Parts: sequence; structure tokens; C-alpha cells
Amino acid sequence: MGGKSKNMFKLSLIVLLSLSFTLTGCGGNNSNNGKDAAKNGGAAATETAASTDGKVEPFDISVFIGEAGQPPTPDNKIFKKIKNETGAKFNFEYLAGDINQKLGVMIAGQDYPDMMTGNTKLTAAGAYIPLEDLIEKYAPNLKAHYADYWNMMKDPNDGHIYILPNYGVYNGEVKSSWYSGPAFWIQKAVLKEFGYPKVKTLDEYVDLIAKYKEKYPKIDGSPTVGFEILNYDWKNWGLLNAPQHLIGHPNDGGVVVTDGVAEIFADKDYAKKYYQKLNEMNQQGLIDKETFVQNYDQYMAKLSSGTVLGMFDQHWNFSAAEDSLTTQGKIERTYVGLPLVYDASTKDYYRDLAVLNLNNGLGISINAKDPVKIIKLLETLISEDWQKTFSWGIEGEDYIVKDGRFMKTQEQRDNAADPTWQMANKAKTLFGYLPKLEGSYSDGNSTDASAQPEEYAASVKPYDKEVLAAYGFNSYVDFFSKPPANPVYYPAWSIDLVEGSDAKIANTKLNELSTKYLPKAILADPGKFDSIWSDYVGDIKKANVKAYEDKINEQIKWRIDTWSK
Amino acid sequence: MDETLGKETVALHPKKRKKQPITWSLIKNQNQLIWMSVPLLLYIVLFAYVPVWGWTMAFQNYRPGRSFSEQEWVGFKQFKFLFTDDNFLRVLRNTLAMGMINLVLGFVTAIVLALLLNEIRKMFWKRIVQTISYLPHFLSWIIVTGIVATSLSINDGIVNIVLMKLHIIKDPILWLSEGKYFWGIVGASHVWKEVGWNTIIYLAAIASIDPALYEAAEIDGASRYKKMRFVTLPGIKATIVILLIMSVGHVLEAGFEVQYLLGNGLVMDWSETIDIFVLKYGLAQGNYSLATAGGIFKTVVSVTLLLMANWTAKRLGEERLL
Amino acid sequence: MANQQISRGTTPGLSVKKSLRPSGLEPVLFHSFNTVFMICLVLVTLYPFINTIAVSFNAGNDTIRGGIYLWPRVWTTQNYKAIFASGTIYDAFWISVARTVISTILNIFLTTMLAYTLSRKDYVFRKPITIIFVLTMYFSAGLIPNYFLIKDLNLLGSFWVYIFPTMISAFNMIVIRTYIGTIPESLLESARIDGAGDFKIFMRVVLPLCKPVLATIALFVAVGAWNSWFDAFIYTSSKQSLSTLQYELMKLLSSTMNSNSNPNVAAGVGMDRDSAKAMVTPLSIRAAITIVASVPILVVYPFMQKYFVVGLNVGSVKE
Repeated sequence: MGGKSKNMFKLSLIVLLSLSFTLTGCGGNNSNNGKDAAKNGGAAATETAASTDGKVEPFDISVFIGEAGQPPTPDNKIFKKIKNETGAKFNFEYLAGDINQKLGVMIAGQDYPDMMTGNTKLTAAGAYIPLEDLIEKYAPNLKAHYADYWNMMKDPNDGHIYILPNYGVYNGEVKSSWYSGPAFWIQKAVLKEFGYPKVKTLDEYVDLIAKYKEKYPKIDGSPTVGFEILNYDWKNWGLLNAPQHLIGHPNDGGVVVTDGVAEIFADKDYAKKYYQKLNEMNQQGLIDKETFVQNYDQYMAKLSSGTVLGMFDQHWNFSAAEDSLTTQGKIERTYVGLPLVYDASTKDYYRDLAVLNLNNGLGISINAKDPVKIIKLLETLISEDWQKTFSWGIEGEDYIVKDGRFMKTQEQRDNAADPTWQMANKAKTLFGYLPKLEGSYSDGNSTDASAQPEEYAASVKPYDKEVLAAYGFNSYVDFFSKPPANPVYYPAWSIDLVEGSDAKIANTKLNELSTKYLPKAILADPGKFDSIWSDYVGDIKKANVKAYEDKINEQIKWRIDTWSK
Repeated sequence: MDETLGKETVALHPKKRKKQPITWSLIKNQNQLIWMSVPLLLYIVLFAYVPVWGWTMAFQNYRPGRSFSEQEWVGFKQFKFLFTDDNFLRVLRNTLAMGMINLVLGFVTAIVLALLLNEIRKMFWKRIVQTISYLPHFLSWIIVTGIVATSLSINDGIVNIVLMKLHIIKDPILWLSEGKYFWGIVGASHVWKEVGWNTIIYLAAIASIDPALYEAAEIDGASRYKKMRFVTLPGIKATIVILLIMSVGHVLEAGFEVQYLLGNGLVMDWSETIDIFVLKYGLAQGNYSLATAGGIFKTVVSVTLLLMANWTAKRLGEERLL
Repeated sequence: MANQQISRGTTPGLSVKKSLRPSGLEPVLFHSFNTVFMICLVLVTLYPFINTIAVSFNAGNDTIRGGIYLWPRVWTTQNYKAIFASGTIYDAFWISVARTVISTILNIFLTTMLAYTLSRKDYVFRKPITIIFVLTMYFSAGLIPNYFLIKDLNLLGSFWVYIFPTMISAFNMIVIRTYIGTIPESLLESARIDGAGDFKIFMRVVLPLCKPVLATIALFVAVGAWNSWFDAFIYTSSKQSLSTLQYELMKLLSSTMNSNSNPNVAAGVGMDRDSAKAMVTPLSIRAAITIVASVPILVVYPFMQKYFVVGLNVGSVKE
């Protein structure tokens, strides 16, 4: 007995010692693939490319995707095709946690995969290799694709191109039938009730809502809610962004830019006018009592119940609620976006032309073993054939061609909407980040199935046909004025304020003040509105707003200098 | 009772043991104890203390990816930013308040529940109730706060309905719009989520009480209450005191998830904690240095509180941590 | 420290026994109060779980409307199908089981061993070691330095990164130490007189006597190991073969949330718009994930429970 326990004692010691001191031995192979690879940065010498002798040489590419997503199935047909035809085998790592933490350790340890999606922190840390020379040398098609945007892609700090933007490069005719941006939204039923009036101004909009609520105090047995304002966490544009649009400016984030000079609008009189109006609406009982304490789920629940007449929001943010309403058969409770202004003579500027999606897309890391191979692969994948494969799928399987026009059977449409099917049959995330053709192909077909007129026509519901016919529109996008050409610097919201800078801190502060004061002001007794407003403006003055405006103006100037053709 | 026992203990407590001189013969005598603990000491030094070099970040403008020698040293700039911000005192107050509420509520409810559970006669029911009560521990805060928010809604939220049915309030109250309710809501949510889980440790302590003590008390005709007070509570006192000392040191860990998820612009002045502040101005800005400075500040406060609690326990003649 | 033995040795109940008189009404009152209280408690704590189950079986685009309480409104198993559709979670499940089992065993053994040495008041290094361990509860070096440590130890992308950094918890050690303090000194003393060394006393006397607290600590450690995903996120995320169940579920949840809230995905390309119409929404998938993640560990619970929910009644029946 004593002997046995002595043995146990020794054993436990050995275990302990090995744990405490020889940890390094048990590490196994680790993912640290490479400081030695880093020096290959621009080495063009290793030209063992696939295409030279027609034989496909397999190679692996590891990719970090800076957002959540699900990996394709191992036998995904698109990735199989890529592997067969180019030799490339992708290994994706998706983000599933806090990006700041993940990037912090990636940068600190210089542990980068071959490719990474764009991120200003990574750029600042020198994690990407410059791409200009590689593209010039090996990728004529990519060069042609980005020709008009070349200067815009340059990093404001050192003038190199690190990221290939994934959206915003247009070819051919652009059709769009779905507006995803900001607007004042109103239930279709409200418009129908009052004979499809043309609504231009905020006052008209509020009147309609008030009239409808008075006439129908309950919808499906629940109290009618006039107006919702979502102010939850980072989703606070419902509260903050409307004033700039009401005076006819496009979405520049927290500033309004006039003649190339930006200033914040949170404390301006035209902002005050809007919040005063909301205060009045609250007095009339038009605003949901709970609106400022609800979370996003509660907000969506209310919209999906069909009792909310209107709100200011971005369409993509609540489209899930509309889907729910459609499933419930309450199409009349879905929404129409209205580009409201204060004064009917102001031209609305909500809808804008798509802009280059800066700092988004893919870059090649300094650890990539063979950047040339990667850039050649991207060059291959920008070809029209590959682009069709990514967007439409495989002819005959995923879409059909009639008289040169691409379309889908109902079964193919259902497939495309099924996430499980997508995992095996689409390269959704990869395509989302690749350089891509947008607009139409050389044969005139749309690059995007939902924008193909035939496909769009098939998707319009009878109720929508009635609404659109009443206004003489083809799609809901037509409610918005045709956007003018974007200002050169546009949009100011994509300016990188630089992590930890005074500008960014000021911006955080400003946001904090707005989320705190504006709800108070709106819910206040009308007599107290002015004093709360002046407290608000006073606190804004104390925040270092100038640092914020200066940074934006400096960048606007830089963009105007560099981007002008 | 606490007093009497306390006095008794103090009286019987051997007057401060003479500090043993460390001699070779003693070490030789205790060589098994040393082998059993010193390797683990080295282990914890490696995994917990070695990385503390990272605290130097708090005195830098740390940029990941640069080597140590390339970092820019800024002295106490990060601490200055932290302490001079208008909001700092407010978030400190909120953190302390919610930390204390959680501490007190958490302790009292867990101990009371453990005592009451112990009184359930049927083993079967005791286990059922205990199992169910700890289920919410397995739900994430986002689910729990979702349910809390729904329950507090003025549109058919259960809390308002019940209170109105009981005629405690006349009109539904918008609970989450008032700063004065916020701390209480956070405290109650914590209790709801964790009370069953926190009870487990006390149940284990109760399980170790010698049944003979209960029998003796029963023979004496002790009531249920007396047994609770004179047998059960003293039996778990050591556990309670030790857990209390440890928790006092954690009072700044009021958390951020609940506050973040339940908070809104209207209650911001009551809901934001140090962790949220550091998250907003530190991590979210890529400012790891500020986050580290915040961590150091919390450690200093925590250890101070811990030592104070331990000292107090010592003065009272109670079980001590150190 | 010494007061433990005292409170154990001299029965406090005895010193006051004369003053105790049972009253007739009190037990009935108490019992009905206790029963009512327990029923309320069960209702209140069972509700969130039932609610989560109901949501997990409810169609995603219906859940958005809210108002799901105890029972699904539009029944579906779609949410679970979405979870099990990704083939990766089966491997991840076993990784999670492995890390939980190994962690729990190692933790229990090492932590108790340390606790025993530190419960020995005559142990020369008792105080410094205790302080060094206790302090670890109150600071963290921060993410980046820890990452460097793991990297330097060559543990990145290794299974052992789930085990080594968390082998001993100071909190658990203190809890066990406190418990050992309540073991009658006489038991240990007699073993020592028999000539047993400290390790033998630990193995033969201390470990078996600590069953109730070890069951508790095992539960803490197992639940902690089972639920953690952060280490997989930071240290092994590039290795799919080492992914844990929690991390896989986390990925699934994030991706569902992303496809519902990311402007590029929700609105960008037309086909992506279609997929936003899918049945699975963050609310519903989160509920299903919670159930999938917690059921395996809940199953373990009753086995642990029998060690610490004994106490008075069973004790007296047994004797």
C-alpha cells in the first residue's frame, strides 16, 4: 500500500514537472507560418505560376475574413471548380468574436495568413504588401477594372494600394430596384388610405401619420404607434442622421459638407428644428413611449407586428421585419421610403451613386508565400466567365439562358435563397470580398440576378404593383430623385479618423452626448426643450469637436487633391 | 451567537503563533509538501506573473506590431486621461454601487436559498428545485437581458401587469427609462441568473456538517430556526467569510454586459461602468494602453479592498484568506 | 484558522440547548411558506429556459414579432437543422468533451493537492504561496502579453492551450482549502501517527473526505471549460480541427447576426438579399444554440449533485 502511493507520488511529480517545464515540447505544430515567408513580400522571382505549361499546380491560400460567416462545405461546387481550373485551395478563417481583440493579437504576433480582408488597423500596422507593381506587371485585367478608381484606392498615409475594393466599380448600365439606404419610411397602407398622396416634406409626413393614427387607433387589436426612433448601441442613426437629409444633403455621417468644408450638424439650428418637431410629435402622442428604452429586438418586434406607421431608418436594418410581415400576408404593412425635406423646394438627396467601398475587399499579407500567384489568381477570377459563375452560378444548373438573357426557374430561385444550398453551391463570402464586376456584362445581362429586369418583374407582388402604378413608378427606388454625380470627396463617413486619435475620441464623445441628450429633449415638456437643448450644445462645445472637424477637412482636401481626375 | 462564539474563539485561539524559523531540518521534514506545491508555484508564476511585463503598455502609446524598443513612452498620460475625464467619477460611482449591490444581494440570497433548500424534506424535491434554480446560469446575458427588457415593457410586460393587478402602481412604469431604477434592475437580474448557481457552494458546505450535531440539537428539542442558526450557519461560516473576503476584492467587477445590454441614452449616467468606459475609449479605439491602465487601476483598488477585508476578518477573529 | 476546529469540536448547539423549545404552529407555517417560496422560485427560474426552448422551436421570421412565451407559435426544427447542417460541430463536440474531461481531472487533482499543502498551518512556505496564488484573482496581464506567452511556449494551434493555462484556479483552491480546514484534525493526526507521508495523507485521507466540495469544484471547472470559447477564438482559430463546440456555435451565431445586420450582406448583392429571407434569424438561432450547448453539460449535473445535496435528512437516515 505504501509502495503504491509512493509510486503515485512520483508519477504526479513527473506529470507536474513535465507540465511546468517542458511545455514547449508539447506544443505541436503551430499556426505561426512564417516570418521567413514575410521576406518574400514582393519577390516576383518565384514564378512557378499555374498557367505556363497548361498544367494546374495545386496551392493553398489562407484567408482571414474580418467578419462572421460560415465556411463552404468541403465539396462546394464553386470551390471545386476553382481548384480544378486554377489549382487554388482556399482555407478561410472567419471572425467570430471581437475584431479589436483578434486584430490586436494578430498584429502583435505578426501572425497573418496569406490574405486578409481590408482593415485600417492592419494597414496602419503594415500588414499588407503594396499591390501597384504586382498589378501593373501581372494583372492587366485588374488594372483595367480599377483604372478609373486607381487614385482613390491609394492609402492616404503613404500612397500605396493595399486593398482591392470589393464594391463600387461599375461597368455598363447600372440597374437597381432595391433601395437599401436611409429614408423616412411609411406604411403602404397609410399612403393607400389617403389616395396615394405625394409626400415631400416632413410636415406632410407627420400629418399623414397623425391622421391615420386618429382614424385607426388600433391595428389588428394593438394600439397604433405613430413613429419609432431606434437609438440602440451603434444603431443610432434613426435618432442622429435625419437633419442632414432634411436640408437636402447626402449621408456624410456626422457632418454636412458645403463647398468642400465639413462641419458637424448635431448642434445646428436645422437639427434643433427636427428635434423640436419630434418633441411636438411626442406631445401629440405620436411617438412610441418606449422608443428610447427598447433594444433592437423589441424594435423589430414592433415593426413586424404591423402597428408602426413610420420611422427613420436604413432599409437594410429592418428588412427582416418586412420579410416577416410578408410571410404573415401583411404586405400593406410593409414600407415605402420617402426622401423628406423641410421645404418642398429643396431637392432631396438621400439616394446616392454607389461609391468605392474603401478599406474593404482583400489585401495580400506580408506573410504570403507567393504574392505573384495570388495576384494572378485574382486576375483570372475577374474575367467575365468567372464573375458569372460567382454571381449567377453554373449555366443550366443555377440559371437558364433564353435568347441570350439570363433567368431563373422558380426552383432555382428557391435554391438561391436557401442558406444550406448556398453553402454547397455558392462561394458567397469569397465573392463578397473579391474584386467584382457590377452593373452589366458585355452581353447586357445584369451582374446581379435581382437587378435583372426579368427577375425583378417576377418578384413584384400584386399589392406593390398597385402602389407603384398609382405613382407611375417602376420600382420603389423611383421615389427618390436621381442622384447627381458624387462630389469628389464623397462620402465623408468613410474617412478613417485613425484609432485613438483626438478626432476619434471627440467623435465618440459627440455620439455619447447625442444619445444622452436627444432622447431627453424629445421626451421633455415643450417648455423645457430649449434649456435641455442649450445644455446639449454647451456640452458639445466642451468636447473637442474641432479636432474631429479638422481631421475630416484635412482628409477631404487630400481626397480632392488626389482623387480629382 | 456570533458574538459568543467569537469571544470563545478568541479566548481559545493560541496567542499568535511564534514565527517558525525556516531550518533545513524543517524543509527536509516537509519535503513532500514542498514537492506538492512548489512546482505549482512555478507554474502560476509562469502563466500569471510572467505576462505582467505587459503592464508597461500602460505607460506607452502601445502600437501592436512594433517591438518593445520601438514603443513610444508616454509616462502617466493614459492614467491622466482616465482620471481627468468628466465621466470617470460617475462611472466609478456606478461601478462601485452596482458592485456592492451585486455583492450584498448575491450573498444574502444565495445563503438564504441554501438554508431554505436544506429544509426541504423530500430529497427528490430538493434536487429538482436545486437543479431548476441554477438553469438560468447557462443562459447568456443577451438572452437574459432580452427577457428582462420584455418583462419590463409597458406593453404587456409581466412586471407592470402584476404590479397593477396588485394595485401597487396605477399606470405602467417605464422601468428602463429611469436612472434610479437601473441599479436595482441590474442587481435583480444578477440574482435571478446566478442565485441557484451561487447556492451550490453553500450546499456543499452544509453537506459536510456532522449529522450528529443536528441529532444532538433535535434531542434538545431545537426548533428549525434554532438549528439553522446554531448548527447550519456556524457550519458554513468559514465558507461564507472566505467567499465574502474574496468578493470584496471583486467589487469593481460589476461587469459590462448587463449594463451594456440594458442601458440606453436615458439612463446612461447610471448605467456606464468602468469596463464600458475602458471598452469605449480603449479597446474600441485600438488603444490597448488605456485598457491596460484601466486594468492596473482596478487591480490596485481590488487588492487594497481585499487586504482591508482580510484585516477586518482577522480583527474579528474570523477565518482569513491570507 | 483555529476557530474551525473549535466550532466543530464544541457543538455550539449544545451550549444553548436548554433555551430551545419547539413550538407547535411554527413548523407548519414555515413549511407552507417554504413550499410557496420554492414554487415561486421554480417558476421564475424555469421560465427563461422554457422560453428559450420555445423560441428555439419557433420559426425565425415569426420570432421577430415577439410574444413567444411558453410554447412555439409556428413550429419548426429549422433552427436545429441549421446547427447540425454544418458538419464541423461533430468533431468540435468531441474536442469540447476531451478538453472538459482532461481539464476537470487535472484541475481537481492539482488544485486539491495545492490546497492541502496550504491548509497545513505548519508548512513553511504556506503564506508566500497563498499570497501569490490569491493575488492572481485580482489582476490580468492583458490579452496581448498572454498571447505572446502562449506563442513563446509554442502552444498556438495546439490542443494543450485549452488545458495548460487554466490548470489551477486560485478561487477553487481557496474554497477547497477552507473545506479541508473543517476536516477534524484528529483524522489527519491519526494517519500521521501511522507513519503516512503527506502525499499519502492527501491521497488516502484528504481526497476522499473532500468529495462534496470536489463535486462542486468539478462542476465549476467542467462548466467553465465546456463554455469557454475565447481561447479557441484567440489561439486556435486557424485550425479547424481543434475548434470547440462553443466556438463553432459562436461562429454560427455571429454569421447569422452578420447576415441580418451587415449592410453589404443584407442589401448589397441581390442574391444575398434573398438569403436574408431565410427562416433562421439571430433570435431563433441563439435560442437553439443555447439549448445545444447547455444540454450536454446539464446531463452531467445530477451525477455531481448527489455529492452535495445530501446533508441533514439523508445524513440522519443513513446513520
